[in-house]
Amino acid sequence: MSKSQILVNARKEGRTYLSEIESKELLRGAGISITPTKLARAKEEAISIAAEMGFPVVLKIVSPDVIHKSDAGGVKLGLGSEQEVADAYDEIMASVKQRQATAKVEGVSVQQMARPGVEVIIGMSQDPQFGPVLMFGLGGILVEILKDVSFRIVPLTARDAREMIRDIKGYPVLEGCRGQEPADIPFLEDQLLKVSQFVEQNPEIRELDLNPVFAYSDGAVAVDARVVLESEG
Amino acid sequence: MTMNKSVNELDRVFNPRTVAVVGDKKEMGYMWLKSLSTFQGKLYSVQIDPNELAGIEALGVENHSSLLDIPEPVDYVVIAVPRAVTPRIVADCVEKGVGGVTLFTSGFAETNTEEGIRLQRQLTEMARAAGLNLIGPNCMGIFNPKIGVRHSPDQYAGEGGSAGFISQSGTIATFFGLAGALNGVKVSKSVSYGNAIVLDSTDFLEYLAQDEQTKIIGMYIEGLKDGRRFFDCLKRVAREKPVFIWKGGDTEAGTRATASHTASMAESPAIWQALMRQSGAIKVDNLDEMIDTAKLLLHAKPVAGERVGLVAATGGQSVAISDAFAKAGLRVPCLSQDSYQELASFFDIIGASYQNPFDVSSNLRSLENVLRILDILDGDENIDSVVLEFSIFLLARWMTGPQSLDGFLDGLARFKARSTKPFLTVLVSVHMEERASEVRHKLTQRDIPCFPSFERGAGALRKMVDYYRFRQAEGIPV
Repeated sequence: MSKSQILVNARKEGRTYLSEIESKELLRGAGISITPTKLARAKEEAISIAAEMGFPVVLKIVSPDVIHKSDAGGVKLGLGSEQEVADAYDEIMASVKQRQATAKVEGVSVQQMARPGVEVIIGMSQDPQFGPVLMFGLGGILVEILKDVSFRIVPLTARDAREMIRDIKGYPVLEGCRGQEPADIPFLEDQLLKVSQFVEQNPEIRELDLNPVFAYSDGAVAVDARVVLESEG
Repeated sequence: MTMNKSVNELDRVFNPRTVAVVGDKKEMGYMWLKSLSTFQGKLYSVQIDPNELAGIEALGVENHSSLLDIPEPVDYVVIAVPRAVTPRIVADCVEKGVGGVTLFTSGFAETNTEEGIRLQRQLTEMARAAGLNLIGPNCMGIFNPKIGVRHSPDQYAGEGGSAGFISQSGTIATFFGLAGALNGVKVSKSVSYGNAIVLDSTDFLEYLAQDEQTKIIGMYIEGLKDGRRFFDCLKRVAREKPVFIWKGGDTEAGTRATASHTASMAESPAIWQALMRQSGAIKVDNLDEMIDTAKLLLHAKPVAGERVGLVAATGGQSVAISDAFAKAGLRVPCLSQDSYQELASFFDIIGASYQNPFDVSSNLRSLENVLRILDILDGDENIDSVVLEFSIFLLARWMTGPQSLDGFLDGLARFKARSTKPFLTVLVSVHMEERASEVRHKLTQRDIPCFPSFERGAGALRKMVDYYRFRQAEGIPV
């Protein structure tokens, strides 16, 4: 699906929230590194997509009504074989049906399980005064508890991207410490610039989250993405 | 450089040849007419109350009963009438075709009352429809000391400086002018603009950016009307002239105050911080930081290096000065071998030391030795800036006559004139506030920046270095 098709579909259905698959497709089109993710409408399709992608894979419920996928038992990680995918599919469907019987279910998303790296997040929100603003931080507990994040107003320059990563207190974590793999910082800078460019070219986007992004010594990949559109009117 | 329309129009308002004050009266102590008594052009008063006419006449100001009766064009008007009358006077300003207006009157949206909000909306619509350059309401307007346009009788007139100031608060504009002058930071043009219903900070920033008299620009901002426009303008201007920004209402409590002061909306401190980093504006958090940094940018040589040579008068102070500058992220390195060799040839090390920092102690008695130390630091390849502390005690003990103190300070001025690096001095008042002020004043007269504490000197140097580093990173000549 092209970018405009994704947006047209969402508008037609009166949605401002894009699905994970739609969000990822949109961002991948903008050159942002993101795990390929496909929709499987049935168990057999999930198995064949998984086999094609290569194991291990992740399955997640695809439903406009299920916002908190993990809470609904709608996420299964590290599935290493066709059998495990088949079982996980059944478990997800049963669990979602039990907890949200009326939810409209489209199927599951299938994606390769990314190798873990240093977790970072990249986000965008609209500031009422200055318009789109990007946020960068270390993922997980550091962003939630310590609010160790930095901001820049769109559009970012190369200097902004460089400084914004170095501004966070947890920056030494990205340089690699205690034998941990260092992060490919020039690659992250490039990702920030690409998100900035994407946001600048798409003013209809109200919010965007790449969370988490796994950063490696060679590159980085976003494993989850969320895009919210401005409401029409 | 060609000026665009609004800049051209603002030039008329900031450099008026005729000024009219509408509604000044005895009850206000004729504050406007008295403030404008220094104005070099023609001053008029507009007042219809017969009880006020004698007082206005006594001030030697020509009065008319309407703006429209003034027999020549009016460049700048100050309106000080009760709020209910303001729409009528603004209508007169439009009809008269005046250059611009400061609406001193308050009681509008900042009161959060129905009447205030309604009136503010009415004035905004009137002024915008007519293209009237309206400053305020709820503000003090323009200060242009060179031509004697003032908004407070305490302000100076006659000699203008090179610091532009844009302030949402009238008091802070006045304070910046007065405290700045004591520190060698004199105002070129300043403006207090209150609720900013027509002209906002961005308009004034654009104006001062092209004003040749203005070399640096300070801003005190509580809120913006158009953040995007401000950001784009600031990114341009900060590359040409240093811009200092003090954002008022950086805390929840402060935000409550900005709402009732100038009807400004809460804005995120984190976003403001980003804005300043991106544009290269210098972030300051209070008036002292603003003046300290302005003082250094105007009176010290530019430097992008972080290495300081620190000379303290005594031992404890040599520790304190090092901690203060190191905490500001500046470096206190060892000197070159050549410097140490030269120091060994004359420096009296009894009760003193010369690592970096220096504890000069009794060496301070000899002006010749002090200058020699300063020259060594100025010539040392490991050092980017030179800082000298002198003790109020030793000054009091050794330099009792005015002669020797002046001689010492003249020596420092000679050093500054031949030096190639920024030179800062620190004088802590301790219990001798008056004496210290006197010495600082003498230093200011000699164009030598002096700070009342190590921390303030270090903070100002940090901000100056960061500004020139920004220029360096952007490839703009330092």
